[in-house]
Amino acid sequence: MRDFLDYLDFRKGHIYDLAVEHVKIVLVAIAIATAISILIAILTYRSARIAAIVLGIQGASLTVPSLALFGLLIPFVGLGYRPVLVALVIYALLPITRNTITGLRGVDPAIIESAQGMGMGRLRRLFRIELPLAWPVILTGIRVSTVMTLGIAAIGAYVNGPGLGEDIFAGLSRIGTPTAVHLALGGTLGVVVLAMLFDAFYVVVGKLTISKGVR
Amino acid sequence: MSGSAEPMIRLENLTKRFPGQKQHAVDDLTLDIPDGEIVILVGPSGSGKTTTLRMINRLIEPTSGKIFLEGEDVTRVNADKLRRRMGYVIQQIGLFPHATIASNISTVPRMLGWKRKRIAARVDELLEMVGMDPSIYGKRYPKELSGGQRQRIGVARAMAADPPVILMDEPFSAIDPITRGRLQNEFLQLQTEIRKTIVFVTHDIDEAIKMGDRIAILDDQSHVAQYDTPATILTAPANRFVEDFIGARASLKRLNLTRLSDVELIHWPTAELSTDRESVREALLRSDKGSVLLLDENHRPQRWINAMDMEHTDTPLAEVGLPATPAIDEQATLYDALNEMLTSLQGAAAVVDADGVYRGVIDIETIAAAIRTMRAEARERYRGEAPEARETEPTEMTS
Ligand SMILES: Nc1ncnc2c1ncn2[C@@H]1O[C@H](COP(=O)(O)OP(=O)(O)OP(=O)(O)O)[C@@H](O)[C@H]1O
Ligand SMILES: [Mg+2]
Repeated sequence: MRDFLDYLDFRKGHIYDLAVEHVKIVLVAIAIATAISILIAILTYRSARIAAIVLGIQGASLTVPSLALFGLLIPFVGLGYRPVLVALVIYALLPITRNTITGLRGVDPAIIESAQGMGMGRLRRLFRIELPLAWPVILTGIRVSTVMTLGIAAIGAYVNGPGLGEDIFAGLSRIGTPTAVHLALGGTLGVVVLAMLFDAFYVVVGKLTISKGVR
Repeated sequence: MSGSAEPMIRLENLTKRFPGQKQHAVDDLTLDIPDGEIVILVGPSGSGKTTTLRMINRLIEPTSGKIFLEGEDVTRVNADKLRRRMGYVIQQIGLFPHATIASNISTVPRMLGWKRKRIAARVDELLEMVGMDPSIYGKRYPKELSGGQRQRIGVARAMAADPPVILMDEPFSAIDPITRGRLQNEFLQLQTEIRKTIVFVTHDIDEAIKMGDRIAILDDQSHVAQYDTPATILTAPANRFVEDFIGARASLKRLNLTRLSDVELIHWPTAELSTDRESVREALLRSDKGSVLLLDENHRPQRWINAMDMEHTDTPLAEVGLPATPAIDEQATLYDALNEMLTSLQGAAAVVDADGVYRGVIDIETIAAAIRTMRAEARERYRGEAPEARETEPTEMTS
């Protein structure tokens, strides 16, 4: 234990750098996935059948093991940052799309009717009423996706992706040596801490962006 | 139907058939809705009331037929723009939960591009109009209001851009009876000031009689069974369907036709609570009613006091005698007043205006007189009709 703390102290600069890279790729992936998911949801939520089909496809892609997905992507986008980003986006889609569709479909029909009855057009209704009301649910989806991709991004190191996975895999590859456990543990701990920080971050985002009237 | 004046709304051969349905939901409905009146669409469940109402603002597009607003054919105009010219209130109200009350109310003015200042002033004005303090409620969210208050906001929101027409679909039916009665009275009071054209859907004949200047009783597929004033519908129902729909106790319901503001109230001897006992005693001596009504400094009725009560010299005036509250709103009907008297076991009740200020007193005798007049009128009307026009003699009219 002592050893490990010494190790952390010694490597903190390096771990910090890896963590920053880790956060960066996750944030980019979440941003892209959020944009795509909300767009898909807006285009499909009105029809329960089409929405179910879209969610089915996304759900199926989630069952592909991440390692296999990274491997499958290499022929198309090569090694390193890009296959990891693409894979993270694919994984992040389902929770956000599903929650956006659920949120949009869950808006009280009476609210829609009164908005329509006052002469609010389709788009205005969507942006002024439906999306703000669905937002708490959408945000939960984004949070779930974030935590999920934090973990998956670590595995991305297998295809030379950035982030804390580098240390984890470095440790695993030299099992038996004294530093092996320290490396793997340091990387894993980094991911856990990031997950907690992100959770706190989303609580703040929620406080700032969810109307007091629906909290 | 409204004589020569052009109707505010005219529905012409309006028909709606929902996809996949054999029967028309609304079948060839023609109806004129006069300017400045409350027109009630009433009928059994499934008769097509909601469908009819939603065709007026084209939330449902008619299969055939035409809609005219102020003489203009609006069957094909831009639906969103049309809806901004008509208020719309539904049973569930549908306030936007994520928006403040002020923002809810200002929805349509903002869409119409009003200036900020004008919007703020209008919001305050509307909140005051529905009896809610703008400085308290403007910043609140819908979940922070009671059901009755939400309903008031729904009405305020519908009136925001001062549309000539307001459409209301069972606006008060999800509310407890006491609050409902109060909201109905408030709304009638408001209507005496704003004089909007109101199309009001209900399935409650009593509400129809109380609220309507004119009632359209709808049978299946929105077939008009009778379109007339409440008085005529009650005294001369056009057919069996209408008779059945009015139900039993039609004569008792007629008491709902007369509002207290329409009858001559009794000038009861009054005295101010703040005055000394001597002047109350004098007022009592002068009174031919045997009692005096005590008013507070705002002229709100407080206590009934008679000579015997005055002997309790040790209790303050505010506590002797019988309470004169709750007083009856002058927008209430004779029916409400009778009900109030029977409940409170007093032969008379104080009547107040919207601000609670004393207007007069109504007693059982006033109501009895009103019933006698109604009976006389009904007999008159009955004699005026050809005997073969009616199958049965309405038994409740014979005395
Ligand atoms: N969207 C729809 N699709 C198919 N049929 C409908 C639709 N809306 C209403 N109907 C049918 O049209 C008829 C009239 O319905 P409507 O809602 O106008 O009745 P209503 O008089 O308002 O009844 P209630 O008093 O129960 O509200 C009913 O038979 C109903 O089943
Ligand atoms: Mg209805």
